[in-house]
Amino acid sequence: MGGGFAPIPLKGSTSNQTNLARYVKQKQIMLSRIADSLFWLNRYIERADSLLRVVRTNYILSFDAVDPSDFHWKDILGMFTILDEETILSNGENTATALNYLIADVKNVNAVKVLFVRARENARGVQDNITKEVWEQVNHLYHLINQPEIEKKLTDSRAIEILDRLTKNSVLFYGVTETTMPRGQGWNFMNLGKFIERTILTIEIANAHFKKIDYQLSNPQDILHWRNLLLSLSGYELYLKSYTGGNHNMNVIDQVIMKKNFPRSVFYCLERIKKYLDDIIDETKIEGGDGLQKMFGRLHSKIKFADAGNLDNSDLQNFLISTRQELAEFSKQFSRIYFSYS
Amino acid sequence: MFEQYNSYPGTWDEMCQEQQIRSQYNKVFEDMSDIPAEILQQRDLQAGELFMNQGITFTVYNDDAGIERIFPFDIIPRILTAAEWDHIEKGIKQRLKALNAFLKDIYSSQQILKDGIIPTDLIATCPHYTREVFGIRVPHDIYVHISGIDLIRSNDGTFYILEDNLRTPSGVSYMLANREVTKRIFPGMLTNSRVRMVSNYPLILHTILSSLAPQQISNPTVVLLTPGVYNSAYFEHTFLARQMGIDLVEGRDLLVDNHKVYMKTTAGLQQVHVIYRRIDDEYLDPLAFRADSALGVPGLMSAYRKGNVAIVNAVGNGVADDKAVYAFVPDMIKYYLNETVILPNVPTYGLENPDQRKYVFENLEKLVIKRTNQSGGYGMVMGNKASEKELKDVKRAVKKAPREFIAQPIITLSTVPCFIDGTLQPRHVDLRPYALCGPDGIHIVPGGLTRVALREGSLVVNSSQGGGSKDTWVVDLPPSP
Repeated sequence: MGGGFAPIPLKGSTSNQTNLARYVKQKQIMLSRIADSLFWLNRYIERADSLLRVVRTNYILSFDAVDPSDFHWKDILGMFTILDEETILSNGENTATALNYLIADVKNVNAVKVLFVRARENARGVQDNITKEVWEQVNHLYHLINQPEIEKKLTDSRAIEILDRLTKNSVLFYGVTETTMPRGQGWNFMNLGKFIERTILTIEIANAHFKKIDYQLSNPQDILHWRNLLLSLSGYELYLKSYTGGNHNMNVIDQVIMKKNFPRSVFYCLERIKKYLDDIIDETKIEGGDGLQKMFGRLHSKIKFADAGNLDNSDLQNFLISTRQELAEFSKQFSRIYFSYS
Repeated sequence: MFEQYNSYPGTWDEMCQEQQIRSQYNKVFEDMSDIPAEILQQRDLQAGELFMNQGITFTVYNDDAGIERIFPFDIIPRILTAAEWDHIEKGIKQRLKALNAFLKDIYSSQQILKDGIIPTDLIATCPHYTREVFGIRVPHDIYVHISGIDLIRSNDGTFYILEDNLRTPSGVSYMLANREVTKRIFPGMLTNSRVRMVSNYPLILHTILSSLAPQQISNPTVVLLTPGVYNSAYFEHTFLARQMGIDLVEGRDLLVDNHKVYMKTTAGLQQVHVIYRRIDDEYLDPLAFRADSALGVPGLMSAYRKGNVAIVNAVGNGVADDKAVYAFVPDMIKYYLNETVILPNVPTYGLENPDQRKYVFENLEKLVIKRTNQSGGYGMVMGNKASEKELKDVKRAVKKAPREFIAQPIITLSTVPCFIDGTLQPRHVDLRPYALCGPDGIHIVPGGLTRVALREGSLVVNSSQGGGSKDTWVVDLPPSP
């Protein structure tokens, strides 16, 4: 008996000639507004995801701190909020206040709640360009952060459970995106947003920790000092496996900035950005694409051919800040070329 | 449970006739009688979840805050016979032909006014008569590409046309979603009853939209223009765009340059040939209509006038579905087609005529007064339900601006059994078939959307007023043995 399958069409078979014309490969077209929304959907989720890792790490480590000032919230508040110095200092030791401000307070433009609401707004306007599964996961994140009494839960023993669920579900967003989104232009814009955001955050978070030691690379630091940074970037275990001796300060620079196989290193992220940028320019053939590639190429080579050993104390700060600035400039130029629709 | 169903006396019930089951309901009646009430209750909940999970919701605006709600769905289908459908289909096609001819005429030679069939005043005072489109030729002379004409059925079983929706009728996504949900909760029942398919609606619509592109462009760009995520029908817009594989655009995605419409894409500007717009005329182009419209595209009308873009439905259709012009559609059918009317109008009293107004005021308790320029069940006063004050107010309003009102006899809509609180109860329904008009003629997918007034005894079926909907079947009965 015949199976339920249609005969497999063969390459060069003549029976369907008339239909072939309909499958002519077309230049990929996507509305600028849609590309913009997909780009920002992923930037917001990536920002929330990174913030959650930082917060969660600091929260857990603070429990076995001998000196509470090691796990002071002021660096994190400084990184993710626009509070003035005074408020940050006065709230820096209050875990409950800091958590609420970072996670659920809509007055903070980078609170996880605000980030998820913005992510959902972007997803809602592009519903026909993301899969049903992606939409449902964004929706789920939105409902999770809007659960009743979240502010109260963050002040008591339920806080860790909330942080866990939020972290897990933002990772699920990436999983669902990875397994369901077609590898077209939408995918490229989403990933470009994700890796630009991740690069910026890795630099920001690393910078905060180097600032703590006043960029004094020659003063050897204990691994315990770097544990917070490495855990916040989910790279602690990789670090332990990769470096068996030497100066921790230099090893950390190597891992966080140059390491090829560390998915949050600056170099890794730039490699990804290069791939998605090339794919987008190749598909759209947009005017100004050349300039964008050159601009990015300069930044990319700077990291690729940098020599960590040559960085001395004063260089490191400049290096981090100028890299971030160049990337921000690139992102601005990219948006100008691809997203200027209104 | 089905045995205990009691229809209202003196009302046409779609399932029962003097305690006998009508033949088209036989199969469903058999299939459903075997299902215990608890199981039906489960299916009912399951249906609600299916709608919620898919985000099939509409937004109700209340106190400035939009609330997302599902459109209530009743699990018992509304069934029409092939013969009933045949009659409806013929009637709607006839009506649409006449309305199309009228729109062409009224925006060009205006012969129907010169021949005195329709009073010139009536058109001159119609707020939707659009001078800006006078003289514009549209592709294939089609104005009404997509219509949702509402029908009701009175207590003797006659179908009447209640209103013509010729601008941006909505609800077709519910028709399609309802059928998909029925497939999930009652698999097998559809084939047992030999129900005609509706799922090809988006394909027909896409073919028609593509055929309207100017200058025989082989691969035209067709887009659906939405007001955006805050519009109450946004779900339908994404649904249709997805089903047709076309871009869902907002006004800010489009621009007009040298009388051509472009969308802004990641590969630069891309010309747009056909726009299926879900934005009202007055918001389409701030240069031609409301200057404060942020939803539209400046210059769009100039591209339309040049024939560089097709707009669906045509601009200016509101003049043909005005409730006062409605009364003249039977005359249009006679005038343009020289045919007798297949589907009659509900008798309508124009209130500008002093004799008719006098009759209306004396018989208010038997009549319903409607505003000519409102829809969605708003601006309606039912003479038998209204308070003394409401009646006094409406009389005063009518005297002040008689052109803005019509009166019609209150018709008791037919009923269909609904599954409510674990029992079957009769509820009043109407019917909105969706007709698509293209160069090769008019296509109506069999059935349409049955809207149901879920409140006991209510005759108002609009979703904004507590209405729900039902899957609507056209069944081919097996030949009698």
